[in-house]
Amino acid sequence: MFVLWAVATVTFFAVRLIPGDPAEAILGGPGSQTSSEALAAVRAEYGLDQPLLVQYLQQLGRLATGDLGRSYALNMDVGPLVLSQLGGTLLLAVLSLTVAWLIALLLATWSTGRGRLAGQIGSGLEIVAAALPHFWLATTLIVVFSVWAGVLPPISTADARGLVLPVVTLAIPLAGFLGQVMRESLTAALESPFVLSARARGESDRGVLWRHALRHAALPAISLSGWAFGSLISGAVVVETIFARPGLGRTLLNAVTVRDVPVVVGVVMVVALAYILMTILTDLASRLADPRPTETGNGALS
Amino acid sequence: MPRPGIVPSPPRSAALAVLAGAAALGLALTGCTAATPSAGTAEPASGGTLTYASGDAEPTCLDPHVGGNYPQALVSSQFLESLVSLDADGTIIPWLADSWTVSPDGLSWEFTLKDDVTFTDGTPLDAAAVQANIAHLQDPATGSSTGYLALAKVTGTEAVSDSVVRLTLAQPDSALLESLAQPWLAIESPTALTRSQDENCAAPVGTGPFVVDSWVKQNAITLVRNEDYTSPPADAEHDGPAYLESIVWRFIPDSASRYAALQAGEVDVIDNAQPDTIAQAEASDTIVHLDAPRPGASNRIELNSGKAPFNDAAVREAFIRSANVDDAVASLFQGSAERSYSALSSVEPLGVSQPDLFEYDPAAAATLLDGAGWSEKDADGYRVKDGVRLTVVFPVSTNQSIPAEQSLFEQIQATAKETGFDVQLTKLDLSSWYTALGSNAYDAVSAPYTKIGPDVLRILFHSDGITPAPSGYFANHAQVNDPELDSLLTQADQVSTGSTTADADQRASLYEDAQDLILAGFYILPLYDQQNHFLLGSAVEGARALPTVSTPAFYDAWLNR
Repeated sequence: MFVLWAVATVTFFAVRLIPGDPAEAILGGPGSQTSSEALAAVRAEYGLDQPLLVQYLQQLGRLATGDLGRSYALNMDVGPLVLSQLGGTLLLAVLSLTVAWLIALLLATWSTGRGRLAGQIGSGLEIVAAALPHFWLATTLIVVFSVWAGVLPPISTADARGLVLPVVTLAIPLAGFLGQVMRESLTAALESPFVLSARARGESDRGVLWRHALRHAALPAISLSGWAFGSLISGAVVVETIFARPGLGRTLLNAVTVRDVPVVVGVVMVVALAYILMTILTDLASRLADPRPTETGNGALS
Repeated sequence: MPRPGIVPSPPRSAALAVLAGAAALGLALTGCTAATPSAGTAEPASGGTLTYASGDAEPTCLDPHVGGNYPQALVSSQFLESLVSLDADGTIIPWLADSWTVSPDGLSWEFTLKDDVTFTDGTPLDAAAVQANIAHLQDPATGSSTGYLALAKVTGTEAVSDSVVRLTLAQPDSALLESLAQPWLAIESPTALTRSQDENCAAPVGTGPFVVDSWVKQNAITLVRNEDYTSPPADAEHDGPAYLESIVWRFIPDSASRYAALQAGEVDVIDNAQPDTIAQAEASDTIVHLDAPRPGASNRIELNSGKAPFNDAAVREAFIRSANVDDAVASLFQGSAERSYSALSSVEPLGVSQPDLFEYDPAAAATLLDGAGWSEKDADGYRVKDGVRLTVVFPVSTNQSIPAEQSLFEQIQATAKETGFDVQLTKLDLSSWYTALGSNAYDAVSAPYTKIGPDVLRILFHSDGITPAPSGYFANHAQVNDPELDSLLTQADQVSTGSTTADADQRASLYEDAQDLILAGFYILPLYDQQNHFLLGSAVEGARALPTVSTPAFYDAWLNR
């Protein structure tokens, strides 16, 4: 609840502090040659002639009752607008997270426990992947797979083919981060005593990896997934724009450009909410994967 | 043997095949426009869906009466029509109005409307409909900017008969027909106008060859063919309904993906093509380039003569002489833009061009600055006078200036530095940019203005244009305040009819004198026409740019696939 309040506050003031008059956004964009009567009427209607602090409190009041307000520029209520765009972005985020996990898992398990060269190759790939910017990656993938090879569409289409490139663009840098983290804990796990006892029982190298060490490797990656979800949403702004996909990212970008305050606040609130839920889910997943009690609490509390 | 990529036509003789091949080769080498169907004997085929991808922002309202910007015009010109149109020579031709007359004092215009035209909701096009539209445009609640300004002199309307409507003006307006040809003054169904603004914004009703079927916001607009269409403009290629069955209008903001989508065949037509994609398209066999500069002003850098340092004409001239624009345009735009030396677009018949005034001459610039008191230089090489550096604050709108243009400004910054100007470029988003202009925090700025006809000179250079609107917006960024120029522009605006040859000549001569004053005053540095490039996939035939504001017209278009 505190997080939501903080998000609403920061967003409200951030957007209002950028130069640009919201009254103009309502009347059709900056530079419109509207009459003073029209501007005054709009200011009165939307409460924009009140002091900033009063407007902020009014906004908080509306948010508390679940009223996200009405978009200045799009002539729609923010709630339905955000809901209609949310699905596309969530789909992108969930698929990208899944694909990133798969890539990271495969890379980490393939390159660990096989000797130094494999480890270094794996590590190198992960570092490069993590450093790739989304806009560069997106454009390169379009050039390679759409223009040269012609196997995938360069922009989002109605079918699943249009999802491949956007998902891969978001997944690769994330896979780099997750892979590095997984590799570290996997390597540490493989050096633990319980691995030795498992090997002594007759378990194979690969068997040890998959059945015992992987759980340990997955733990930090699971906790990172909460953060990853947030970074995927922000990556979605770039990806949705380049691939012309409808979604919250594009909506947010357009709203900031025209100073459409209700939409900006609405989108950020929804994203914050999703992020909080995701963090709760990853906490639960962590508990399931790691039933060891926490250091400070006793067994009954965990 | 035809070149690969060209659809071979059945050669009636070897000579014909050779001729067709040579013609195609010649056209490809000169970078032709797709104004007519390609060298083939195929007849227009009815049916098919054309997908259009726009790089402009998605409009917030499809009704161009509300606000009135170019992205709205692009899509609304597919389903709304105006009273008159323009042909390729710049002559006013009939559209929804068959003919018109004006009284000798220029204060009363009568338009006779075309017979048997109905809006797609069944309402007939009559004088009352035109009255309702003018009322809608002039109503402050509509929030029209472009249309409202264009009709500023219209004080009343009257339905003389069912098909004749009379407009009464407070003063003669020589630009009235040009204004009425614009898409922002299109005629919509009066029945539809009585709906709420939200409803009318979602699907305006007009007389055009297509009808708005659905609009999924942030996704696409779907237009379907108007089967009862009867009102093409006088320069259309056919009559009756359009060939295309539907048009899907998408928005792809990124230039590279837009072009990739065209290459992949996902879309058929794109706009806002950048110089790099234009160069690629011209080199390819399958994509056709349609160059359609917008009317009104050229793209120019306006120098703020309202405050120092540009309140001194010598300093303005020095800045212009110190900027090497020709080389920059040639290298950055790769042949897709031609240097302009005029305040007006090259499509304006009354434009005046003076290349001699804008030659790159750094030596002359240095002499001018020395003479104006800027002879000292500081440690960084910039000129100073009384301890003040010669600074040029230049806010750049990243929304309105394409990357090539932003690089052009950087090159101008570099060459001007050699003479001693400190050009400070700041890249801003649209809202912040307008704020910077509104608070007079600029010395140089580049702002487009699209309008049909030389009346744009009055809007941009008459001293009335310095006064900001309540929103802070004003058009005379050069802050030109010259009584002689004001008088010329006011006279030209009020030449009573514009339809007799003597009046037309008088108008032309007044605007010529006005442009001479503007150019000789070194208030602006003209760059090039307002760029407006379309790229069409090879299946698209018969598409053209309407000579009014150069929006794409698909009435005569058909798909050859």
